[in-house]
Amino acid sequence: MFLVRVGRLFISFLASIGNVAVFMLRSLSFGFAPPYYWRQILQQAVQIGYFSLPVVGMTALFTGMAMTLQCYAGFSEFTAENAIPSVVMIAMTRELGPVLTALMVAGRLGASMTAEIGTMKVTEQIDALTTLSVNSYKYLVFPRLLTGTTLLPFLVFIDDIIGILGGYLVGVYHLNFNAANYIRNTFEALTFSDISSGLVKGAVFGFLICLMGCYQGYFSKGGAEGVGRATTNSVVTSSILILLFDCILTFILF
Amino acid sequence: MEFVVEVENLTKSFGTKAVLQGVSLKIRRGESYVVIGGSGSGKSVLVKCILGLIPYDVGSIKINGRDISKLSQKELFQTRLKCGVLYQGGALFDSLTVIDNVSFGLVYGYGMPKKKAYAIALEKLRSVDLDESVARIYPAELSGGMMKRVALARAIATAPDIIFFDEPTTGLDPITSGTINDLIVKCTKEMGISALSITHDINSLKHISNRVGLLHNGKMIWEGSNAELTTTTNPYVVQFINGNSHGPFTSN
Repeated sequence: MFLVRVGRLFISFLASIGNVAVFMLRSLSFGFAPPYYWRQILQQAVQIGYFSLPVVGMTALFTGMAMTLQCYAGFSEFTAENAIPSVVMIAMTRELGPVLTALMVAGRLGASMTAEIGTMKVTEQIDALTTLSVNSYKYLVFPRLLTGTTLLPFLVFIDDIIGILGGYLVGVYHLNFNAANYIRNTFEALTFSDISSGLVKGAVFGFLICLMGCYQGYFSKGGAEGVGRATTNSVVTSSILILLFDCILTFILF
Repeated sequence: MEFVVEVENLTKSFGTKAVLQGVSLKIRRGESYVVIGGSGSGKSVLVKCILGLIPYDVGSIKINGRDISKLSQKELFQTRLKCGVLYQGGALFDSLTVIDNVSFGLVYGYGMPKKKAYAIALEKLRSVDLDESVARIYPAELSGGMMKRVALARAIATAPDIIFFDEPTTGLDPITSGTINDLIVKCTKEMGISALSITHDINSLKHISNRVGLLHNGKMIWEGSNAELTTTTNPYVVQFINGNSHGPFTSN
């Protein structure tokens, strides 16, 4: 009995992966073929790129500040305070920047994408799109996938800058570091791969957030309750996938 | 005789549950065909199969003489442009204004310039007794009756050969229902558009139909003209029309 349940769960897990893969391939194959819905792409770019800035900026600022304080508490015991700027920079660019940006965007945008597409699904608006001869994958899903993948790296880059700035503010104005030394220590340790690996992670996370957000919305059913359930699933699966792919990408990139 | 829609021996199951079992119907050009039946009898599935929104298992569906199962994706989209649909809840796009909703099929389906599409959309809004004042507002600001009229304007904007009405008067007060019924009759009689409606509303049924089919447990068990509705002795039809709780139908 137990084995039967495990087997069923495993098969259902594989079926879900297959469904997501088919959904992704359909969206990309329809999306890359003309005509292109530029207005939809621009709208999503504004939603993802512009309206996410405040939440991403605040997260980065507070994380950079807290990170500096935590590092100081540990490093000062070994008189290694000089390493704090570079540690904060590396932590922000390689790990915290992309992951925190992605988690915040998943919470803010992934949920709203699922709710919007899910509501369209249960109120037959997606059927209406189809009967008006518009491919719903192309009109609804592809613009989100495209803008999510291309704009999340920009958000990660901004997150990196603000996070490092947060560390600088705490370091210089609270812990009394020398401003010039702090900046020099930060940039001396900075390499191109620190930035680029974070941006690659950002692009992958952006794609995953939008894919899960659209997929859960597109296949939601059961009225308002179903849309609510799909929204929760979207945020949970996106968050798990972000952490899973963060681990995988870290293994690949370093 | 020219048929706009021809459905032959249509069968559709969801898992082990057979929803449609060998349904056949034909709709002539300019004819208004109404499918009635209890909840869960397969009416909505029938319409969705005809529109190609869900695949069917067995049978054939022809729209304007073309078998939809043999059409490419592009041809299917072109065929759908000749089908208008009035959904039960309107299914207007929340994020678009009324004018953008009505002109949507023209702009995105036909690739028409926006200016020209707007002019046609305004004309269609006027034909459903709405004026320019509603053009720039969003669906959330409309009443139920206005929403149905905008949805009807959107359905006729692409000059379809047939319109599918999914419970067009559900949730409306009797006066607004009467207005919607009149507009449906206007579409079929004055504009010469065929119609396939599904409804539970007996007043609406008597008002808009030329021919009627009764669907029960996925089978078309009765078919006749509007006039035959009142003369038939078929116990299912009699019970349905009179709304009796006793009879061959059992409520779900």
